[in-house]
Amino acid sequence: MKKTMCVLMVLLLVVSSLAFAGGKAETAAVADPNAPVTLTVWCWDPAFNIYAMNEAAKIYGADNPNVTVNVVETPWNDLQQKLITSLSANATSNLPDIILMQDNAIQKNVMTYPDAFVALNGKMDLSQFAQFKVDVGTIDGQHYGVPFDNGATGTFLRRDIIEQAGLKVSDFNDITWERFIELGKIVKQKTGVAMISTVANEPDFPMLMLQSAGTWMFDEQGKAYIKDNAVLKEALRITKEMVTSGVCILVPDWNAYIATLNNGTVASTINGCWISGSIQGEKSQSGKWAVTNTPRFANIASSVNYSSQGGSGWMVMANSKNPDVAIDFLAKTFGGSVALYETILPSSGAIATWLPAAKSPVYSTPIEFFGGQKIYEDLVNFAGKVPNVKYGVFNYEARDAIARALSEIMQGADINTALATAQKNVEFLMSE
Amino acid sequence: MAKTTLTKKINLYGWLFVIPAALFIFVLNFYPMISAFLLSLQSGRGNNLKFAGLKNYARLFEDEMFLTSVGNVIIYLVIQVPIMLLMALVLASLLNDPKLKFKGVFRTMIFLPCATSLVSSAMIFKSFFSIDGIANTSLIALGILEGPMSWLTHPIWAKFVIILTITWRWTGYNTVFYLAGLQTIDRSIYEAARIDGASARTQFFHITVPLLKPVILLTTIMSTNGTLQLFDEVRNITNGGPGISTLSISQYIYNLSFMYNPQFGYAAAVSYAILVMVAVLSFIQVKVGNKR
Amino acid sequence: MKKYQATSILKYVFLVIVCLFSVFPFYFMIVSSTNTSVDIIKGRMFFGTHLFENMKTLASTVRLGNAFWNSLRNAIANTLASLFICSLAGYGFQIYREKGKDTLMGMLLLSMMVPFASLMVPLFRMFSQARLLDTTIGFILPTISTAFLIFFFRQSAESFPIETVQAARVDGLGEFGIFFRIFVPIMAPTFAAAAIVTFMAAWNNYLWPLIIMQSQDSQTMPLLITGLTAGYTTDYGILMLSVTITTLPTLILFFTQQKRFVEGVLGSVK
Repeated sequence: MKKTMCVLMVLLLVVSSLAFAGGKAETAAVADPNAPVTLTVWCWDPAFNIYAMNEAAKIYGADNPNVTVNVVETPWNDLQQKLITSLSANATSNLPDIILMQDNAIQKNVMTYPDAFVALNGKMDLSQFAQFKVDVGTIDGQHYGVPFDNGATGTFLRRDIIEQAGLKVSDFNDITWERFIELGKIVKQKTGVAMISTVANEPDFPMLMLQSAGTWMFDEQGKAYIKDNAVLKEALRITKEMVTSGVCILVPDWNAYIATLNNGTVASTINGCWISGSIQGEKSQSGKWAVTNTPRFANIASSVNYSSQGGSGWMVMANSKNPDVAIDFLAKTFGGSVALYETILPSSGAIATWLPAAKSPVYSTPIEFFGGQKIYEDLVNFAGKVPNVKYGVFNYEARDAIARALSEIMQGADINTALATAQKNVEFLMSE
Repeated sequence: MAKTTLTKKINLYGWLFVIPAALFIFVLNFYPMISAFLLSLQSGRGNNLKFAGLKNYARLFEDEMFLTSVGNVIIYLVIQVPIMLLMALVLASLLNDPKLKFKGVFRTMIFLPCATSLVSSAMIFKSFFSIDGIANTSLIALGILEGPMSWLTHPIWAKFVIILTITWRWTGYNTVFYLAGLQTIDRSIYEAARIDGASARTQFFHITVPLLKPVILLTTIMSTNGTLQLFDEVRNITNGGPGISTLSISQYIYNLSFMYNPQFGYAAAVSYAILVMVAVLSFIQVKVGNKR
Repeated sequence: MKKYQATSILKYVFLVIVCLFSVFPFYFMIVSSTNTSVDIIKGRMFFGTHLFENMKTLASTVRLGNAFWNSLRNAIANTLASLFICSLAGYGFQIYREKGKDTLMGMLLLSMMVPFASLMVPLFRMFSQARLLDTTIGFILPTISTAFLIFFFRQSAESFPIETVQAARVDGLGEFGIFFRIFVPIMAPTFAAAAIVTFMAAWNNYLWPLIIMQSQDSQTMPLLITGLTAGYTTDYGILMLSVTITTLPTLILFFTQQKRFVEGVLGSVK
């Protein structure tokens, strides 16, 4: 037993020393523009982001053969953890050159670790991107994010079901939430199918609604704007009514939500345009879907029929040894290559927030799954009209507090009381 | 156990046995723990930390989220741990019966839950308890429920689902320890008891349980520790919801560190609150266990 | 006689019910590996014909062999190292039990009581400075010595008779000799149980590997699985397949070792 242990220990040391010796080839910042450069990128989703990044690498590599892009697949939650752990430990040598970051988190990360990210002002032209996306990555006038994933929302409808209820797709365009609920009741009554679904205990609808009115849960001074937020109250009231009236069904989690779409349990969904990928997973529904814009508030002047949900952007890390190469890479691909967006659109459904790309004929292709509608053209149009909103540093705290308020309201609590609690919670977390 | 006075030389050997493992823990656990404790005395966001004394600890008492999470976890602890350990004991005794057939199959199947990935189990449990899930349909069919209940959006029933999941997942795990422990009990003791007319129940409570005391103490402390530090199950099944009615303390720490604005100092204070709770409970359990 | 039979049947019924309840999600996992993603989402509970498809898709989407090997190597190294170090310590704490060691044991137990999330940052800093990021040693070092395993061996050693130790000493066996030649063989059930739970914990370990692994080459199975759930559209077929594959090593280990829990070793103690 002892001998085996010794042998195993030696083996272990050998194996680990091999792993250790493995690859620490450093690429120092080099004056020679043709010296080999490796850019490491952390991002997630092989079918979407990673695919796009690899395509971008190919395009850039054609003109800059000395640059290699090394993508390390890192799911978003994991990326947050690794990033924050490294930054907190002041051990940043392992951080990559470029990361993908959820729009919701950009402000928080930049304001907490201001020296960790590279500001792009003057180094990259961001004027051709949809402004609401540029805005989420801007802090104090400094731009940190290269917009990528378009989160512009739309109402995705099952044309066949609503027609069965005697309605038309155009009935859902440019409407209010109240009207949506009315139409939903008609659909339910005539076909027995619920209009829409959402994940229980998640604040997706209220968030979407807030952005459509150009407000958020914080005021200009950054203070929590929850208790007295009229838009938020309306949003919660409408969400509750959708559920209690049977127009909206609640599901326990994400895959149950997707199931309602694929199973035909619901007649529509209102979400970021990236949902089209999941919708198209059910091949038998081809030809039956359509897209219109998002409902707005009836009584709130600033409310429009456009909003955003989710979305992410690329950021360049300050610890990078080749920040200029990284910026050039992003500028020439995500910020400059129509070909890139033309490639990634058909296979992954990744919709550009870079407006010149949207002018490509690929974007005006009729999509059979959606009955020949040119959905990408429409969705990019929507993106151009989404109100700018600053998510703020305490975005996640506020989101969670609203989710909690929503649960309480669903259980019967008074809206004002629930919001007062939410405000208190957020203020507690905001204090030090 | 007879107390043998150790000679100096033998005692030295004893320390040799113990030192490597202890050293690892000192360097790799205690050093970070001390670091974390020092962190808990500081407050601020990200890396802007300033010394704050015991302010974080005082803040705990005003923190509704923290207090709710403590309440949640105590409910899980008090209900789930005794049931699970009792089940595990019963199962282990049953599986220890030499006359039982298909022992290998039973043992493997009972162990499966803790080996089954949480991703899969979470999916199943969530669908089980959804509006049109098996739980609702069977309870309605049996006449116990009138209409479908929304388990996971109800503050109390969501906790029930969590407790059920944890019990399901970890009973087999503890059964393994008890089975291993049961091997050290001489079969002849049971024989003698049966000849004397003791029922299975009596044998269980008067032979099995007392002789398994050391292992039972181990599993009690481990389960207490595990439940107070509960994270995975809550995160995957209810994510703390509805609202914060199933939030666990560890999940709150995770939120404070990685989701919300990083407040590592405060998060460390919450961690130490857990340590205090587990330490106190373990101390009590050890004292109770030592009463021979 | 009749009462015995009734109790016996009751026992079997009880065990069967418990087993069905335990196995259900496992069954779902295996069945789902053979179905398409859309079918799984719809709740399909029967075997499908998609297994081969799923295997092909999985193999082309992720580096399965790489992750599997990493997990296996790390888990085996961790388990062997842990069993070695912690059994020695547990034995030492019990057989040479005295006040000083009892106090130390109590202190060591404290180390389990702080959630790992709070220890991560200082640990990471240490390992980063020691240039141990992305190495096998880096992966297993924090989990080699755990208070839990030491405590388990100590508690199990409580039933190891001190007379045997004393007799062996009289026979001229050195302290380490007693441990390796007598304690280890007799306590095989304990080692088997410890091996299984340690392997399982090391195999499923998530948080620390996440932080310390820096390249795609060092990815482990749990991290690979999270990657599969991180996209906008999840392919549940390949997810369940990878989850099934991940479960296999622990199960195989359990199945091969479970006899040792019940091998009667009582005779040899005397």
